[in-house]
Amino acid sequence: MISLRLKVDPLPIDEPLVVRLQAPGSPARTDHDAVLAEVAPDRREYDLNGFSFGVYGVSDEVIDGDVLMMMPGETTAHRLIRAGSAHNTLLVTEQCDQLCVMCSQPPKKYHADLFEQFTLAASLAPQGAVIGVSGGEPLLHKDRLFCMLEEVKARRPDIGFHVLTNAQHFSRADFERLQRLDHERVLWGVPLYSAIPENHDRIVGKPGAFANLEQGLSILMRAGASLELRTVVMQQNWQDLSALADYVSTRLNFLTVWAIMQLERIGYARMNWKDTFQDTSSDFDQIARAVDIATARGIKASLYNFPLCSVPPAYQDFAPSTISDWKRKYLDFCLNCRSKETCGGFFQWYSHTEGFEFLGPL
Amino acid sequence: MPVVPLKFRPHQDGLLLFADDAGGYFKSDHAFLRRYACDQLTSGDLAFLHVNGHAYNAVGDLAYSGFEHRFAERLYLPREMDYVILVPTLRCNLACGYCQVSRVNEATPGFDWDDSIVEAVLGFLDSLSARKIKVEFQGGEPLLRLDVIERIRDFCSQRFDACELVICTNLQEVSDPAWDLLGRDDVFVSTSLDGNRMTHQKQRTILPGKTDQFFSNLDFAVSRLGSEKISALPTIDPRNAPSPEEVIETFLNYDIRSIYLRPVNYQGFARKKFDARGSADLWNRYHASFIDALVEHNWSSAVPVEEYYFVHCLRRVLRSGHNGHVDLRNPNIVGHGYVVIDYDGKIYPTDEARMVTRIGQFDMSMGDVFRGISAETIDRLNAEALNNFHPDCVHCPYQAFCGVDLVDDISRYGRIDMPKHMTDFCQRHTSIFDRIFAMIYSDDPKVKKTLALWAGTSHFDPLLAKVHQ
Repeated sequence: MISLRLKVDPLPIDEPLVVRLQAPGSPARTDHDAVLAEVAPDRREYDLNGFSFGVYGVSDEVIDGDVLMMMPGETTAHRLIRAGSAHNTLLVTEQCDQLCVMCSQPPKKYHADLFEQFTLAASLAPQGAVIGVSGGEPLLHKDRLFCMLEEVKARRPDIGFHVLTNAQHFSRADFERLQRLDHERVLWGVPLYSAIPENHDRIVGKPGAFANLEQGLSILMRAGASLELRTVVMQQNWQDLSALADYVSTRLNFLTVWAIMQLERIGYARMNWKDTFQDTSSDFDQIARAVDIATARGIKASLYNFPLCSVPPAYQDFAPSTISDWKRKYLDFCLNCRSKETCGGFFQWYSHTEGFEFLGPL
Repeated sequence: MPVVPLKFRPHQDGLLLFADDAGGYFKSDHAFLRRYACDQLTSGDLAFLHVNGHAYNAVGDLAYSGFEHRFAERLYLPREMDYVILVPTLRCNLACGYCQVSRVNEATPGFDWDDSIVEAVLGFLDSLSARKIKVEFQGGEPLLRLDVIERIRDFCSQRFDACELVICTNLQEVSDPAWDLLGRDDVFVSTSLDGNRMTHQKQRTILPGKTDQFFSNLDFAVSRLGSEKISALPTIDPRNAPSPEEVIETFLNYDIRSIYLRPVNYQGFARKKFDARGSADLWNRYHASFIDALVEHNWSSAVPVEEYYFVHCLRRVLRSGHNGHVDLRNPNIVGHGYVVIDYDGKIYPTDEARMVTRIGQFDMSMGDVFRGISAETIDRLNAEALNNFHPDCVHCPYQAFCGVDLVDDISRYGRIDMPKHMTDFCQRHTSIFDRIFAMIYSDDPKVKKTLALWAGTSHFDPLLAKVHQ
């Protein structure tokens, strides 16, 4: 499993410190570049503006170009950006105003504001990187979020963001700020679970959420923003999918992609698994209908987090590999599968005894 | 709850087809029409109209914005010019009876680009802002000017990030260097294949030896280039047409699965030989029988076949933003996204405009490669090239899916203000859209199978064929 934290020597700092690790001999391009000075079996020593610190437990992994955040008094550093990965996500807050039945990252009450550090980290990312922004609900700290997006755009126009938000908190006052962002490089990932307002509200645990969401989506549309609509498939909305496809094709045909997603068995989803998980390997009909309706209407539908062998052959082209590298695993029978290269596999926390019934190598 | 304007038309089963300006559609009955017209819609009516995107609660809400977006996407907006059609020569080694371009005999001097025109064309291409370009060579027979094609290709591959060449050739006489050119990755072939051998010979090659030569070249092209790099258009004279089954079989022999049926185009020389007016009905009947044959074929065959233009129209019914084909657009703004450069360096907005000018009907040129584009005349025409407010089209439920073709109107009637329903364009498209909706609302499993194939889906979902009663 890929490690998102690294053990480091504690540094004498009062504030969180963001550094980019550089290979030996690389020029330090900014004050935040630490250059590899010495390699011992379990320790790599870096030089940061004349100070040295050690990073431990990195064996063969390439960490050149990675961006770390070190916290005062702590001996583990957050690996905010892995230069070799396309799956970097900044968890900007753990607060949320919804309580979704399948939340993979259940909310917490308190917020530690690290936007300044995240802004710096994003600015140190490799050329053309797309960085995920997640929570909690990032828009609860809307001004800080916009500042981050704007500042990184000014410093590094090549960097893209994929922001996951419940779109509850956009207002008409945000319109101009939204419009000025680079729509080619900022993709808003917004969940919608049903076209029936009560069903959506029940799933997200917030009365009135659907109405707010419609307003938020309308603002995104008018601002010219790029939208990834995200629908997790559950027992709770299984019967709603074809009507949702119809809704999407009349209301939201500006979207870039409609992601129909399988469940991630962690957080509340693990707790509520038996009442939530829909085994789409035994019955795919409602997804097939949703994909057919969307496709006929010219809307790009995509199946996220579906092992390829759980999808009928006619729909496998709709299922790209989407599970992040550090969350991904394969099962025993995957060894003999000829589609392993193109399949995203399973979440680390997937349990096959409670999972899909009809799987096997392709 | 406000309801957007609905247009309607009798459907074949006694119900009515309703559609709005954004292309949303459904079927209902006369009782609903009465309630709609007399402002007596029930709550059930309104709930249906809201779900289906025809009604909204407040200006600016999501249903309203979604409608606006779909409406706007159906309007064609020309982007930067990234497509040019070049006619380096009018000379041709065939003399087809219906030739829609004015052509001259192979040995006739004075109908080719000279060096100064080639230089000016390169200068014109150099002035474009697009980073990718598509260049289509027409004629005459463009392979008679392989030298020019090679020069343009060399220039474009250096000047643009990506360049795609289409050579519209009769595949009659292809030299070894010409085969080398056609075999390159960035080169595509468009040719004519008039349905079956007999018709092809009658309409194009005349002599059996020449017919053999063409079919042997086509065989070689398919084996050497692959069928995916070759498109072949059958030009059909509905008075003398090969049977649809024969056409399908001929194309499948060459593994070509998309057939773009073209009626003989009554322009250029063809004007002299065929009746220019009133042929829509005959064509529509042939086209409908062709669709029948395709439905039958697709039911039992593992290799589905489509009629290209019908599928394009079907997708325009189902989707907004499907504006990629130059033959069906609204507004049909010409002379901006692409142009045609004739053998004498004159620039035209479309190939048809070149014909209209050539036979002396109306000067539709828009400058030349030496002095550049002057779009004044064409833009005056463009100002009228919109069906949204046309007194005939505003009542037509097919308006949002359809387009206009003023160049065709000028060519046929010498004017652009014919009542639309009397034009060939309207009659042909009304027939196509009638057929499309007959298929959408058909219960026949054969029809449903073909419809799904052509919509690009596994099944054609019933939610795409709503009936409200």
